[in-house]
Amino acid sequence: MTALLDVKAVSVHFGGVRALENVSFHVREGEFLSLIGPNGAGKTTMLRAVTGMVSPQCDYIRLAGRDINRMPTHRRAQLGLALTHQLVRPFRSMTLLDNVTLAVGHRRIRSILRAMVSVSRSVERQKARRLLALVDIDADADQTVAGQPLGVLKRLEVARALATEPRLLLLDEPLAGLNHVEASHLADTIVRINKDGLTVVMIEHNLSEVLRVSQRLVVLDNGRKIAEGVPSDVMRRPDVRAAYVGKEEAHVVS
Amino acid sequence: MLYVELLIQGLIYGCMYAMIAVGLTLVYGLLRILHVAHAGLFALGGYLGLLITNATGSLLLAMPLAAALVGVLGMVIYRLCYQPILERPPYVALIASIGLFIAMEELFRLIFGPYGLTYNNPPLQSLIQFYGITLRAVDLAIVAGSVILLGGLAWLSQNTRLGIAWRATVDDPQMAESFGISVIKVRYLNFFIGSALAGMAGIFISLLSNLVEPTMGGVPSYKCLAIIVLGGLGNVTGTLIASLVLGVIEAFGTIYIGDYLDRDAIAFAFLILVLMVRPQGLFARG
Amino acid sequence: MLIYELSLATVVCINIILAVGLNLISGFCGQISLGHAAFYGIGAYTTALMAKAGLPGPINLVAAMLLTGAVGTIVGLTSLRVREDFLAITTMGVGFLFLGIVRQQERFLGGELGISSIPSLGLDKVTFFMLVLVLAGLATAFGFYLKKTWMGFAFQAVADDEDTARVLSVDVSAYKLAAFALGTSLAGLAGGLYCYFARFIVPDDFGFITSISVLSMVAVGGIGSVFGVVFGTALLTLMPEFFRFISDYKLLVYGALLFAVMRFAPEGLAGLIHRFFQKPKGSPGDAV
Repeated sequence: MTALLDVKAVSVHFGGVRALENVSFHVREGEFLSLIGPNGAGKTTMLRAVTGMVSPQCDYIRLAGRDINRMPTHRRAQLGLALTHQLVRPFRSMTLLDNVTLAVGHRRIRSILRAMVSVSRSVERQKARRLLALVDIDADADQTVAGQPLGVLKRLEVARALATEPRLLLLDEPLAGLNHVEASHLADTIVRINKDGLTVVMIEHNLSEVLRVSQRLVVLDNGRKIAEGVPSDVMRRPDVRAAYVGKEEAHVVS
Repeated sequence: MLYVELLIQGLIYGCMYAMIAVGLTLVYGLLRILHVAHAGLFALGGYLGLLITNATGSLLLAMPLAAALVGVLGMVIYRLCYQPILERPPYVALIASIGLFIAMEELFRLIFGPYGLTYNNPPLQSLIQFYGITLRAVDLAIVAGSVILLGGLAWLSQNTRLGIAWRATVDDPQMAESFGISVIKVRYLNFFIGSALAGMAGIFISLLSNLVEPTMGGVPSYKCLAIIVLGGLGNVTGTLIASLVLGVIEAFGTIYIGDYLDRDAIAFAFLILVLMVRPQGLFARG
Repeated sequence: MLIYELSLATVVCINIILAVGLNLISGFCGQISLGHAAFYGIGAYTTALMAKAGLPGPINLVAAMLLTGAVGTIVGLTSLRVREDFLAITTMGVGFLFLGIVRQQERFLGGELGISSIPSLGLDKVTFFMLVLVLAGLATAFGFYLKKTWMGFAFQAVADDEDTARVLSVDVSAYKLAAFALGTSLAGLAGGLYCYFARFIVPDDFGFITSISVLSMVAVGGIGSVFGVVFGTALLTLMPEFFRFISDYKLLVYGALLFAVMRFAPEGLAGLIHRFFQKPKGSPGDAV
């Protein structure tokens, strides 16, 4: 299997803070990789560097062999990258359905002129409903975002990200704030999508779910990569356990 | 000699802009609101200062009294106008502020008349000569006054408990609140200080031109908005420097490019130029 | 129809074209512009100069639209560089810059005294009004239409959260430029029509107060709502006429109204009406 995502020597400095220091890893096509580490390790920064919301210094960031480091965010999205946010960012002026419909219509809005003459949304709406059903929130499809519980909004993030038909899905703490049942359910949904061929990179603190679903782990601590490999191997390492103890007491699985 | 005179002219206006702009940037730093109505407070300061001086004959009494009154009104504006709409999208506060400003200008016109008021006995008009340059006492008073007030403010913010609490809140309101600092009180303080300074600036300009008239807030307000962007929205030091820089650029600019560009447009031309090169302003928020 | 009422109706229609244009930029796409009057002015001055040079009306109006749209796109480029709060002030700056240049250009643009004796379109007052009415109708229809298209959908996303829109593959910069191009072209058209209406233009017709007036028509009507904006424009243009006794207080009422609407009903009249007739399953996406 070839590397879909390949990042080499990524470093990010904010002011005096070294958010990331020389991190390299790759993700193979069809893989389910989880990025873990204590708070402040640089995981979200890494995803933001991949999507282009942050400009890193690096040797390269490659998506399917193409160097994307100089590309604007929307171009990377058009090449098949999708992201869900840690703190949900739904379009608050729209309904759940419209949030996803917009993303489904990503090809329609690629060209301004074409967007100006395209009116019909029915096809896209249908697809959007199916995606909402996939994550079990189609009952509220026509509701506005306002007042929706976090569980619904987190699943909306996932549905919307899937709507752009990505090749690589980046998930930033998709399970945070969900109760045990919801989290397990959503994790299963993500696993199913992954088995259908979508490559997934997930940041998560919910270690029990992470260990259950991931094929491979990359561990960050203080901006550096400290471990990489199969979950069972990685979690046995003393330096990985040390990184968590004292910082993540609520979530550590012994 | 012309250069020196222009420089001094520029610095004097720069000091005045600084007094107005500081209040603007303080409000922005804390609330993310472009407080256009601030200019109305500037004008009100001029009116009150002039009226009290004319009534009592004492500028020394008028200055602190007018500034304090304007400061209080600033706090009232915060409570009645801004506090209820803090959760709304930013254009709401902006347009509300613009509406308030327009209403204030019109009230000045309707209450005090469209042609403006003058001092019965314009104070500080004596001339001072040194090194071949002629200045009026009021020019020196403005520079001295600004330096004292702004310098005092800076000292207070570094060396008193209140000042430190204030700076902490501007930096990170949530953190400050967790330390027990009352964010609401800090907001009131911000509005009081910022408005009082603007009121003072209004008095200064009334002394400079011996005139207060209803539209006097307009032009300085627009310029000061440009200044706070240049200085880095929320960055007080940047704003002070940008004020002086702009005052000087205006003074020189009027001479050299006044044929092509109206004086008031110079500020904005400069702003647009700078923003195109450095979108975060001359000094981004520290 | 009486001459005075006809003139008033004409002005309302010109203002509607202006306001629909600003609504495109600020309402649909969320880019707050405090300098819209500058584009009004560019359209007016372009038309005035071309008309005085003897060129025919239709050509002048089209040229005004195109030129204004081009300048508008360039100004739109500045919006790409700066953040939201900076944008409001930058557009305000553009407005003052325009005024500053025009005021000083005595040779070509008439300076403070403006341009007078602009030739007429050759239409009588009633026909001219019909023309302006039709154009205002077309502009409004265009606004309605655009809202229903995918471009309108993309605008909504950009206005709501442009960073998230980018992540969803929306070319945010291109859409912002499109909004500026379209919205300012409409302002240019309004300017050209105003030029033929008044036959005499001065820089102060296109100052900051005018920018604020147009913005207030949009805000009071309901930012983003086409119907609301039309209604708001008509209301604010006609209000001082219906209450002659307040004509001296016109600006005061403007200011107070702007403030009151934003303070108590920020979604404008359209929002109030929507809330009044609230449908239980109503979604904001359906609002026109």
